[in-house]
Amino acid sequence: MTKRKLVVIGNGMAGARTVEEILKRGGSNQFQITMLGEEPHGNYNRILLSSVLNGSQDAKDIFLNPLDWYEENNVELRTGVRAESIDREAKRVLGSDGAEIEYDQLIFATGSRPFVPPMEGLTTESGETKPGVFVFRTLEDCRKIAGYATKCRRAAVIGGGLLGLEAARGLINYGCEVHVIHLMPRLMEVQLDDPAGAMLKASMVNMGVRVHLEKSTKVVLGEEMVTGLQFSDGTTLPCDMVVVSCGIKPNVELARECGLTVERAIAVDDQMRTSDPSIYAVGECAQHRGRVYGLVAPLWEQGKVLADAITNVNPNAAYRGSKIATKLKVMGCDLAVMGTHTATDERDEEIVWSEPKKGRYKKLVIRDDKLVGAILVGDTSRAGDLMQLFEREAPLPDDRENLLFDLAGAPQSSTLHDMPDTAQICNCNGVTKGTLKKCVLNGTHDADAVMRATRAGMGCGSCRKLVKEVVQWAQAG
Amino acid sequence: MSPLPPAQKLGAIQIPIEAKSTDTHCPYCALQCGMTLVQGEAGLEVTPRDFPTNKGGLCRKGWTSTQLLRNRERLTTPLVRDRKDGPLREASWEEALDRVAQGLMKAQNRYGLDAAGIFGGGGLTNEKCYWLGKFARVALNTSNIDYNGRFCMSSAAGAGIKAFGIDRGMPFPLEDIATAEAILLVGSNAAETMPPIMQYFDEQKRNGGKLIVADPRVTKTAEEATLHLQLTPGSDIALALGMLHIATRERLLDYSFIASRTNGYRDVQRVVAGYWPERVEQLTGVSIEKMTEAVRILAEAKTALILTARGPEQQSKGVETVLSFINLALALGKVGKKGSGYGCLTGQGNGQGGREHGQKADQLPGYRKIDDPKARAHMAKVWGVEEKSIPGIGRSAYELLSTLGETNGVRALFIMGSNVVVSSPNANLVRQKLQSLDFLCVADLFLSETAELADVVLPSTQWAEEEGTMTNLEGRVLRRKQAQLPPVGAKTDLEILSALAEKLGFKNRFAISKPAEVFEEFRQATAGGVADYSGMTYERIENEDGVFWPCASEEHPGTPRLFLDKFNTPDGRARFHAVEYSPAAEMPCNEFPFYLTTGRVMAQYQSGTQTRRVPDLCDASPRAFVEIHPSMASRYGLFDGELVKVSSRRGEVLVETRFSFSIRPDTLFMPFHWGGAGCANLLTNPALDPTSRMPEFKVCAARIEAPNPFGSTEAATVAVGENS
Repeated sequence: MTKRKLVVIGNGMAGARTVEEILKRGGSNQFQITMLGEEPHGNYNRILLSSVLNGSQDAKDIFLNPLDWYEENNVELRTGVRAESIDREAKRVLGSDGAEIEYDQLIFATGSRPFVPPMEGLTTESGETKPGVFVFRTLEDCRKIAGYATKCRRAAVIGGGLLGLEAARGLINYGCEVHVIHLMPRLMEVQLDDPAGAMLKASMVNMGVRVHLEKSTKVVLGEEMVTGLQFSDGTTLPCDMVVVSCGIKPNVELARECGLTVERAIAVDDQMRTSDPSIYAVGECAQHRGRVYGLVAPLWEQGKVLADAITNVNPNAAYRGSKIATKLKVMGCDLAVMGTHTATDERDEEIVWSEPKKGRYKKLVIRDDKLVGAILVGDTSRAGDLMQLFEREAPLPDDRENLLFDLAGAPQSSTLHDMPDTAQICNCNGVTKGTLKKCVLNGTHDADAVMRATRAGMGCGSCRKLVKEVVQWAQAG
Repeated sequence: MSPLPPAQKLGAIQIPIEAKSTDTHCPYCALQCGMTLVQGEAGLEVTPRDFPTNKGGLCRKGWTSTQLLRNRERLTTPLVRDRKDGPLREASWEEALDRVAQGLMKAQNRYGLDAAGIFGGGGLTNEKCYWLGKFARVALNTSNIDYNGRFCMSSAAGAGIKAFGIDRGMPFPLEDIATAEAILLVGSNAAETMPPIMQYFDEQKRNGGKLIVADPRVTKTAEEATLHLQLTPGSDIALALGMLHIATRERLLDYSFIASRTNGYRDVQRVVAGYWPERVEQLTGVSIEKMTEAVRILAEAKTALILTARGPEQQSKGVETVLSFINLALALGKVGKKGSGYGCLTGQGNGQGGREHGQKADQLPGYRKIDDPKARAHMAKVWGVEEKSIPGIGRSAYELLSTLGETNGVRALFIMGSNVVVSSPNANLVRQKLQSLDFLCVADLFLSETAELADVVLPSTQWAEEEGTMTNLEGRVLRRKQAQLPPVGAKTDLEILSALAEKLGFKNRFAISKPAEVFEEFRQATAGGVADYSGMTYERIENEDGVFWPCASEEHPGTPRLFLDKFNTPDGRARFHAVEYSPAAEMPCNEFPFYLTTGRVMAQYQSGTQTRRVPDLCDASPRAFVEIHPSMASRYGLFDGELVKVSSRRGEVLVETRFSFSIRPDTLFMPFHWGGAGCANLLTNPALDPTSRMPEFKVCAARIEAPNPFGSTEAATVAVGENS
């Protein structure tokens, strides 16, 4: 059987994972796979870039698919190659290296790129990006920021969203003074309510990050390199580097040019198929039921469905959308958010615990006894369980404090006097306090003799000390 | 004169063999605690014995074990059924054995050799396991033999073979627990399942060691832990991968060990990159702080052990789950050095020996593979048969049971030492399948729930009435000794098999039936195998407090610790496996919103065939229950101790609630020791691990509700039927 030619544009977390899923389903027997990746290396875990930036992780440990993985799996990876155009009639992709690559089926996994809002002074007169201006998206960006930051005294991050704050946290490690510039009146305004936003700001400030809210950057100052920012209110902030982190923008130009239906991103059906049945899209460049996802869990779910469909392993596979929960890990400030941050429906109930001085804030939004949103600031020890309940739409325990606090298990300590007679002292042999007491009252006073008579302490022996205490207590009457 | 009541009849024959006291081992779990049986007024009594496994300690199961010898329900005569729906009646051994031989032969004549099947147990002695396997391959020529050990530690066995080239549950002695600076115990409630082992953990903690327990419940064992990771059922792989990710990030890996003694790390490294802490926290419900603490404890310890038990193993991805923890141990360099290693806490009394000597569908004695030509040639020589007459690989336990009575399935089944109606997953189906057989024979001590369905029931001798060897969880081979004569009317399993073989025309190959004789042939059978017992003798085992396999000659000291120089792989290196997390085969949903996990209680053992007949143990744990978090119970309007209905896609049970703050609110727990309306396995999911064929006992989706007070539910009807 001749293999079908499968071409994947993009070698990021969605593209490479989708190929892995296809291979897992025996796809190497069906397809000759070619991937185009603009970056010069294999696929890495983009989520971990902020850990690489802040020095808590080695870059070599974040690779999900190192270069030899492609070779071992007979996947042809063309690194450093961008897809220039697509001829859907001839089913051909034209690469930036001039190659014409034929396909039977094509997957768009082009991802997205940083959105840079319009401002003056981003480039030098010659049109190059001004030295000191960075975006934070790739491993290369990460290396450049790290390299530049060591020479800087003051860095500004434009954008107070998740990634911006992580970048800010990372920059502190390089010894520069860090400022976060945010357009909105609170940080992470999409995910957080006012109190949580305020608390997050306070802890960022505590960490040494200066936060400027409701500031709109107009101009990046400096001729040859960045020297400062100028805001719409006329104020300025001297700085020698700036990281723009104002969200992402799907890479859809290529899809639009070749005539696929593109709205906010490339429109796909429940099997990730675009308006052309031999072309799929997956990941941040895809728009499913009106939604575009920027987190990794949804991309991986999409990849599974796509693989099921394209390999025909499960022709009925369907992606039905994902629920979004995320956790921000900034040293000194733990934060987890999911779903809605505020009651939006008359059925909604908000449960709030707030300890502003300790920087702790917990909020649940519950609708019809399901968790529809939560914010945890400061103490996120319950985050894992809450994210599960949110994602599964699972029934909630009646006592809501169980959701907020780690209450499990702490054994109650009590005095021997308060302990009921039915309390089990020796677990191995099921001997209760009452049995020991009776044995002593019946005239056995030596602890060893009590143990032999009742078999307490004759199993693993862990309870022997306690048995002796009970015997003494019983003797004392 | 009216016949004597059974108790007196039994009491009358309780004659000590020769000595007033006999050093032997407990009949129950894989710890095989040493005990001395002393003749008392009412019969044999248990006194503790200072043996390395238990140092004189015994749990209440051990203390009360001689009550089994005097139980009124003990079978002492064969029972037969004259027609399928007729009652069981007493019969002579001659008649009963004839019927068994005919039943097996008839099925084979009509449907082919594989239509006769054998189902064994992990409680049988090594001699019996060996004889049972030989009976299947030589006397019946059937490929269909398997055993309940599939439901026990088969996943750890599969993983051990993949990673280390050998499966010995603990490749080091128990004493290494006491000296380990750190231990990660995954899904084991040892404090209840084998309490005397806790001495070693106590000692470890006294020595300043740290104990980490991963379990969805705050079990008695978890209460002893320095750190408890209360993970979501079925998320163990994610936990292991997350811990490995954190270890990588924190630069705690032992790269020189990885380079010098392992293969395959690179593939694991790339998988691990996809399990960053925040993701794993969501998958497992274990906080990043706790995972990080656990990793640091393990990595910073000079000696560390990772031990798994049924929690991670009894999953449809059990082998991969164990491999994920082996990966962690390897990456931290905590394997193959004295004082460090990975081990599995085996469950059944002879769970280790039971899996080595040929009662497994794909295996020949000495842990040989049945499809290995050299192994076949060796066994053909030992058995004096043509190599080609030895059958190939047969069906694994659940596959064998779930196809009983079908066109290509087993039509006549012989069960020895297993109560599959209670212990198999999806127990309703297994019961139906047993009922659809042309012929069923059960050899047991008591009329178990499975024996009740049989056409012929054969009364076996037990434990203190017979001789043999057992291999405990450490790979230490022990002597089980006879302390009294069996009741008149019962035969040893070896005698039963030899007599049956004679009826099937194989007298010359089964001319012996004394344990010591069978042991001599068995030694030869294991010679040169992975689990080589050929250097062991009954005398040595007794004089040396047990001998660790492999032991290839009488001069060989035995092998308490494996892997110190090399692993049993062809190149001597341990193998990493790039395993990934996947959800349980069945996850909670709207209809069945809880995880249901199953396990044990202290006072009962396995399917309860024995322990449910010991009054002291029944008083302690009289019936099944479902453990639920009070906060979830109140949500469903349930009270503590109330009878409730728990259901899954496969069935429903009626049990009492037991409130506990020690369980995750999203999880229910049921012990599996009971049959009837409280049988946890009516609910469990038979989704099988692709390698070990282990069913997913530890995770399924379930619902809990107050039973309908009007009209009888199906389960209520069953309850009445079972209790009458």
